[in-house]
Amino acid sequence: MTVPMPAPTPTPPIQTDALTLMAGDHALVDRATLRVEAGEVVAVTGGAGSGKSLLLRALAGLPLPGIDVAGNARVDGRRLLIAQGGVLAPRRPLGAQAAEILGHHLGLDAGGSLRRLSDALDRLGVPAAARRLDLPPDRLPDGLRWTALFALALAVGPAVLMADAPGAGLDPTVRLRLLHRLAEWARGEAVALILAGRPEDGVAGPATRALALHRGRLLPAVPHAAVAFHRGPAAVPPGGPLLTGRGVTVSFPLGRTAKGEERRLTVVHPVDLDLAEGETVALLGETGSGKAMLARALAHLPAPTEGRVAWKGRALESGDATGMRRTRRDLQVLFPDPAAALDPAQTVGAQLAETLESLRPDIPADRRARRVADALETAGLPAQTAQRWPVSLSAAEAARAGLARALLPEPRALVCDEPAASLSAEERSAFLDDLLAVRDRHRLSLLLATEQAEEGLRNADRALVLLMGRVVESAPAETLRHGARHPLTRAMLAAARGGSPRLEGEAPSALALRDGCPLRTRCPNERPFCAQAVPTLEEIAPGHRVACHYWDTP
Amino acid sequence: MMTLFTGSEGRPGGRGAAAVAVLAGLALACAVAPLMADGAVVRRHDADPLVAALLDGRGSLSFALFAGLLGGALGVGWGVLATALGRRAERRLMSTATRLTALPLVLLVPLAAGLLGGGVGILALTVALAVAPAIAGLTHAELNALMRREFLTAARAAGLSEGAILRRHLIPNARRPLLAAGALALPRALAAESFAGLLGLGLPAPLGSWGASAGLAARLGDPVALAAPALLLAVSLWALCAFADSLRPGHPRP
Repeated sequence: MTVPMPAPTPTPPIQTDALTLMAGDHALVDRATLRVEAGEVVAVTGGAGSGKSLLLRALAGLPLPGIDVAGNARVDGRRLLIAQGGVLAPRRPLGAQAAEILGHHLGLDAGGSLRRLSDALDRLGVPAAARRLDLPPDRLPDGLRWTALFALALAVGPAVLMADAPGAGLDPTVRLRLLHRLAEWARGEAVALILAGRPEDGVAGPATRALALHRGRLLPAVPHAAVAFHRGPAAVPPGGPLLTGRGVTVSFPLGRTAKGEERRLTVVHPVDLDLAEGETVALLGETGSGKAMLARALAHLPAPTEGRVAWKGRALESGDATGMRRTRRDLQVLFPDPAAALDPAQTVGAQLAETLESLRPDIPADRRARRVADALETAGLPAQTAQRWPVSLSAAEAARAGLARALLPEPRALVCDEPAASLSAEERSAFLDDLLAVRDRHRLSLLLATEQAEEGLRNADRALVLLMGRVVESAPAETLRHGARHPLTRAMLAAARGGSPRLEGEAPSALALRDGCPLRTRCPNERPFCAQAVPTLEEIAPGHRVACHYWDTP
Repeated sequence: MMTLFTGSEGRPGGRGAAAVAVLAGLALACAVAPLMADGAVVRRHDADPLVAALLDGRGSLSFALFAGLLGGALGVGWGVLATALGRRAERRLMSTATRLTALPLVLLVPLAAGLLGGGVGILALTVALAVAPAIAGLTHAELNALMRREFLTAARAAGLSEGAILRRHLIPNARRPLLAAGALALPRALAAESFAGLLGLGLPAPLGSWGASAGLAARLGDPVALAAPALLLAVSLWALCAFADSLRPGHPRP
């Protein structure tokens, strides 16, 4: 990144010298030496429990009960800490809270505080900022709540700002945009900014330099992408089609209107999709884009509202129990919350044996235990896991137990709905790596729904990008990585690479959808025509299809 | 690490165990109370206030058990039926239950006892009816939450038929929350009967009850006679609630 380094000053706003935080005789943060200049943005990354929050609390001068502090930490000027989860009183109007906080720090009256907050919201790119100030934070969408919190911090005008897991839980596109805006502000106003978060949160993207907390030591970070080892798409070229979906639609009844017409909420608009033998297809999209619904509809869990799904050319029908079971044997599913997908009232082994009994009646009962043990070992778990209860499994173990269950009937294809969403960065890459190894060994087809664009594209042959239940771009993964055309795909890739996505605000609710392109309120290329028609998929190069009126606008 | 069933270890289990011990102690004391009343004929009004209260406990507790089981079964059945019969029946049954829960149904108990002459059977039936809608609501909420759990989808992905899912996954996981919901009918039945008793319209004459004794003592202005039944009533209400609470499955935590 080409950001000019601020000139070193004799007294930087943050300087620590061998800051050590001890709980008893255990060093949680060990001799951390940190120097942050005014106008510098520093990212501190680390896994869960690595001591990020503790370090920030120590720098903010908050009390640390039960912790012994050694070494020196000096922080000059007004300092602010945005605590984990973004703490605002949930029910009080935002304006009232702002008046209180700004009144306390700056001695402003209510009118002055609101004006200052509105200016700060303008700087963070929230249009018509003043209108939202009478709402309490829990009535705001998540992205706006975080923006308001940052705006409040901006309005106070600190010399040092520290943010602990900023924008956690937001879509990467929204979070990265916000973090870049915050970093821009810090550089412009000569504020020392520390962003702390997990490596996968992308806090390193907007930062001038990134440090990592590992085993208590604060050291320069290795770029996140370089740590994760990925196998890439399968080496063997894809074969004939296994799973085909035509016009797959998912909608839910919303009751009736006053005239007695049925109202439905459509979360997946007609989608055509093919999954060939040995092929990996990624379904990319933000939260609420319908990727999970589409993936499940393809596995008939539940069946799509309209359209048809065929397995090896034979249409799936819910009524045909025998046929469904035969298909399920070949088409297995990985769930986004693997722990919840295990029955708490049965041991892991009992559920796995049950799956085997149901899908592979040809395997005699006395050989099931052996099969279950083998599957567990393939998934990277000891065979004794079969005797354990689901609640005693960690998230990573549960994910592997889910993989073992999916592999038991020796399927031909796996539908993976964010299979590693509940895992931390290291567990995640290890799990995905094992999944891909299994894929290559058994020549499995994968349908991989994920919101991590870069990760999805690296491992897939082909990808579909979804926006509010519609496919907006589909192309070979390699084409998308370097030549994506749709603004959403570009934004998702930018976010995954730590850059600033060029999309404003958050995805609108599916219940309050307006005419035209669903992205137009956020899109940098938006023009009047976008409000008139929903763009349809058009082929712009062989195998590369885009649904955008202005895809050729750079 | 949490264990699957909050058993005898840990705090929630400890509270449940204490409640069971208190209930067992109370039931035992009530059962042997006639022996303490100097043998021969049991005459409540002459007895020591504590012994008299324990004698009353026989009526109160056994009635609470009887009417509570009836009301619990009725409420759980109502909730299960609503979940099983499909969307339209569900909406009707549950909106009825919600509306009834909002009404002060406890007033029905003294009303029925006053109007219909108050046999034990009538009283038990009204108490059960008064208690059932709330239990039905709880049952329905628990079942609804259970039906949305992901492991049922996983069982479908494993090709299990709906019957097998019901037998192997739904019923084993529903048993405990439904038991907990049903058990909440016991303290409610006890409270309803005691309320009617306070007004002098509770269990009929030869059977004593805590509510009736407390009401009588309050009318006579006798604080000593009031204290014992009131205290025992409060303790058993707490114990029954704590027992029902301890039956609820612990929520797995990460």
